[in-house]
Amino acid sequence: MCDVTRQELTFILNGEEVTAAVSGSDLLIDVLRRDLGALGTKDGCGKGRCGACTVLVDGVPVNACLYPAPEVQGRSIVTIEGLAGAGGTLSPVQRAFVERGGIQCGFCSPGMILSVQALLERDPVPSDAAISEALVGNLCRCTGYKQIFDSVRRAAELLAQGGGDRG
Amino acid sequence: MRQTFDYLRPTSIEEALRLGAEPGARFIAGGTDLMVRLKEGAEQAGTLVSLRSVPGLSGVEESADGALRIGAATPLAEIEGSALLAGRYPALARACSTVGSVQIRGVATLGGNLCNASPTADTLPALLVYGAEVEVEGAQGARRVALDEFVTGPGETVLGASELVVALRLAAPPPGRRSLFEKFGRTALDLALVNLALALELEEGIVRRPLLAAGAVAPTPLRLRAVEEAIDGRLLDDALLDEAAGLARREVTPIDDLRASADYRRHLTAVLVRRGLEQLARGCAT
Repeated sequence: MCDVTRQELTFILNGEEVTAAVSGSDLLIDVLRRDLGALGTKDGCGKGRCGACTVLVDGVPVNACLYPAPEVQGRSIVTIEGLAGAGGTLSPVQRAFVERGGIQCGFCSPGMILSVQALLERDPVPSDAAISEALVGNLCRCTGYKQIFDSVRRAAELLAQGGGDRG
Repeated sequence: MRQTFDYLRPTSIEEALRLGAEPGARFIAGGTDLMVRLKEGAEQAGTLVSLRSVPGLSGVEESADGALRIGAATPLAEIEGSALLAGRYPALARACSTVGSVQIRGVATLGGNLCNASPTADTLPALLVYGAEVEVEGAQGARRVALDEFVTGPGETVLGASELVVALRLAAPPPGRRSLFEKFGRTALDLALVNLALALELEEGIVRRPLLAAGAVAPTPLRLRAVEEAIDGRLLDDALLDEAAGLARREVTPIDDLRASADYRRHLTAVLVRRGLEQLARGCAT
């Protein structure tokens, strides 16, 4: 079991083509944090329950802690590092989280914000039930859910106002 | 120390079957359960054989005979959102939508939920009340297995070592068929304490051809045959609801575990049976 084949992966990370050499047992979170130094994606429970490692794979939120690295070949990955615009201009969802206190200790924020990004792309004016459903897989250990819900509603407003070219 | 293994991505069913038959090989679809078990050391694998890139294993389509065919590697999110399920298979759409989180449903597959054969699997009671058939392919050829016979125990199925589930088939329900899925869990992300699917027709208040299946109340998802026999052909009134709930409570064989006591699960089964029948009587299928 120690003679494991390494494979070369090419995929799009936040709009740029990257390559990485991985073993079959590597997970997407290993490639991001260990190989590519993209430390915004957090390693929480490691079991797909807390959502701190949430990233978008071809637009779909997934738990990077369970996602086999070899499966990202040819796909497009968006992490929290990919949301801000030129010069570090925050995206509308990021701005809303800052404005409404949706960030406390910050550990859940990257995953939380990516889940909200995906939610608002498919449902620009989500009901409270839809917000709750979209965030079932993202735990806030500070329990600041009220502010997070406020942030989602604010993000929807900002996006409706054309609040950002990065949607 | 995490286990190390190879990861192969075959591009045909034949290649997948050949690789899957090698010693130490395991099939992986979404991997949301398998990866956790591999990390915890609860399972071992020398090679994972991925089913994600195998053509013909994913997608929801209507067959020429009107049956619904769901590829085994179709993610639950895609099934839950499919227009082909919306009117005719509401219990399955609902069951898919209650599994885990958005992140889980985006990658977890119907075939994976089936082959894990967990007593709590949400999709299985729904598949049971639609009389689903499992399409299996293997080195020895293809076969179809009724879902009733597919799961044989917790984590156990009739699948042979060199076999693979390729799709699930659900016959077209007759006109007027009503169905729904109910689940009771501690939180939205938690496993079901009890889940239940129901399907029946109502002719002027008379129950016809009822099917009920419950999960997390026995080693495998359980058809509630005593309830079905008792209510078939009878007027769905308050007295019948009480009788059905009482029979359901006695028919299930749950265990005590960290999530709930057996007594509580019996109680929940009775509540869900009564509630489900009431909802179907009102015509609001969910």
